[in-house]
Amino acid sequence: MTPTPSGMDIALSGAAVRFGTFQAVHPTDLTIEAGEFFSILGPSGCGKTTILRLLSGFLDPSEGEVRIGGQPMAGIGPSDRPTALIFQNLALFPLMTVWENVAFGLEMRGWKTARRRARAFELLDMVALGGQGDKLPSELSGGQRQRVAIARALAVEPAVLLLDEPLSALDLKLRQHMRAELKQLQETTGITFVYITHDQGEALTMSDRVAVMNRGRIVQVGSADDVYDRPATAFVATFVGEMNRLPGRIESVAEGRARIATAGGSFLAPNPGGLAPGAEAVLFLRPERLHLLAPGEAAANVLEGGLVRRDMEGAFSTLIVETGAGRLTVQRVNSGSGGLPAGPLRLGFADRAGVILPAGETADDAA
Amino acid sequence: MTRLRRSFGAPLAALIVLLTGIWVLGLIAAPQVIMIEQSLWKMDRPAGADELSVQIDRLYNRLDMLALDRAAARTLSTPSATDAKLAQIDAERAAVAAEIADLETRESTPVRTWTLTNYAQMGQAHLRIFAKTILAALAVTAIAFAVCYPIAFAIAKLEPPRRAALIMLALVIPYAINELLRVFAWQMILNYGGPLNAALGLLGIGPVPFLESGSGVFVAMVYAYILFMVFPLYNVLETLDMNQIEAARDLGAKTWQIHRRIVLPHARPGIAVGCIMTFMLSAGSYSVPYIMTRGTAAPWFAQLVYNRFFQASDWNVGAAYAVSLLAVCTGFVFLMMRLLKVRLRDIAK
Repeated sequence: MTPTPSGMDIALSGAAVRFGTFQAVHPTDLTIEAGEFFSILGPSGCGKTTILRLLSGFLDPSEGEVRIGGQPMAGIGPSDRPTALIFQNLALFPLMTVWENVAFGLEMRGWKTARRRARAFELLDMVALGGQGDKLPSELSGGQRQRVAIARALAVEPAVLLLDEPLSALDLKLRQHMRAELKQLQETTGITFVYITHDQGEALTMSDRVAVMNRGRIVQVGSADDVYDRPATAFVATFVGEMNRLPGRIESVAEGRARIATAGGSFLAPNPGGLAPGAEAVLFLRPERLHLLAPGEAAANVLEGGLVRRDMEGAFSTLIVETGAGRLTVQRVNSGSGGLPAGPLRLGFADRAGVILPAGETADDAA
Repeated sequence: MTRLRRSFGAPLAALIVLLTGIWVLGLIAAPQVIMIEQSLWKMDRPAGADELSVQIDRLYNRLDMLALDRAAARTLSTPSATDAKLAQIDAERAAVAAEIADLETRESTPVRTWTLTNYAQMGQAHLRIFAKTILAALAVTAIAFAVCYPIAFAIAKLEPPRRAALIMLALVIPYAINELLRVFAWQMILNYGGPLNAALGLLGIGPVPFLESGSGVFVAMVYAYILFMVFPLYNVLETLDMNQIEAARDLGAKTWQIHRRIVLPHARPGIAVGCIMTFMLSAGSYSVPYIMTRGTAAPWFAQLVYNRFFQASDWNVGAAYAVSLLAVCTGFVFLMMRLLKVRLRDIAK
């Protein structure tokens, strides 16, 4: 491999995109560090692909500015930016052999055939496709094609690699494998990765930081732990991972926590937004933070309910429990202790387990 | 056959086979076979025709002699001798007349001779016209491609789908008008006293003899057959994934490089179909050169074929001319397929 190219940082300042009257991206400030694996996560139509096109240069911001490596990108087209884009459908050139695909960027830069062929085979070796260079893309498997697309993008030695849901066409096993490969590739090359996805699993496993987008706005930027454990809005809470929802009204507040009165009882949970007593709010609660309580066991928050259904999923089982606060989902680790106690179930959760957020748009509304 | 019967039942299967047979025979085989057969023979005088005509002349002389004998016989002395003589002469005359009729039929019934000489009948002048027609058809094809490729690309890739549909409709409308009307209209436009020359006259140019110089044929022919180039190109370009173009640009390709490396290779089947159709139609066009030149410029080859059939009344040579044109056109098809590395299967798509 050639000397490790270093990534560049990216800065959007007040960048916005309008298509006619449709505001695809509201004015956005965003900084992506050099060498970072940064994901933009959101439902389809949220504007994440538009941001990617802003970075790749296929689109100019209606207002605001894009800087890559400190350089303003206004007026610089896709071919002259230090970025390379990996398309959702990969967009390999079907009439060219694999090595010609990989060498395409070098061909455009005027490299001689022998030199670019040698470089293409080097890159193919790097992505474990050593013997496949003379085949056509159509003769490769999905995962192999994926690697060709990566090699083709890396051939032009970009400082920023932009990936538009490149794993969505692969089956689950391969997807998980490719996640690890991409992450490793990012670490060895040191290139800045900007990864667009609607799959929260991809975003959480690979990224240094994740931006969650909805309706043209970035609603939260943070580490995977941040967005999963400390969602900033009802949308983030519901879009990332499973979430139980218990709507209610704030009763009292103390030390960053609040007590919320719901139809299933009154519960104590963190109140990051500093909601005042009397405010309409929702208590969000992850299924894995709800526990079955043994008889006599105590918890900060307790509610009772009857079992509706139990889905055995192997490593854990999912319980659907009918409570005063509606149907709740409980995830229970398979500890080998066997079945459930008969009769009504007592559920408990810690006073730091949930999060109270203002009622607002959730992922289900958007869908 | 068994599979057809299993899927559609015997009567329907028989119908399908019958219709396919009619198609293959009637539309593909029969016209070519007839034309080739016609070109491979000519009617000749029968063998020994010269001796026959000498013999016939001799018999006519004999008939005249008999007529004289008959006149002389009337003056014979005894009526019975006269009658006997007359009967004898009449019998001989009838026999001679019958023989003449027989020989004349034999002499005048031409014999069909199988020969390749029909193909050798093209004189230098006709060969030149043949070559000129092929070159002109190639030029029409090239011009049509040069005009249509940017149009087809722009409609297929740059316009939003609804506007693309509208533009395609606008392209098709002229073709709802009869070809004759369209060509006549262009004939009038380009005429010596036509509106184009009138407009040029205002600018102090001309008048330009468009029709007489033969350039009118070009204009009308590009106009008449351009759609056969646009549609195959449009169809094939429409299937090009826009991401391919963007990927190429992202990797640093300039516009001409994108076309050379991505768009044109993808469009190969459409280019082949468009070129083949345009070339075939313009190489074999009869009405366009006929109307546009009205005999004031050198004829196109199709007109020569027509003249062989109807003015020279030599159907065999006409057929040979037609088959020669067919051969060149078929050669062009295979050449295009070879050049563009397109297989028949791609074209069929």
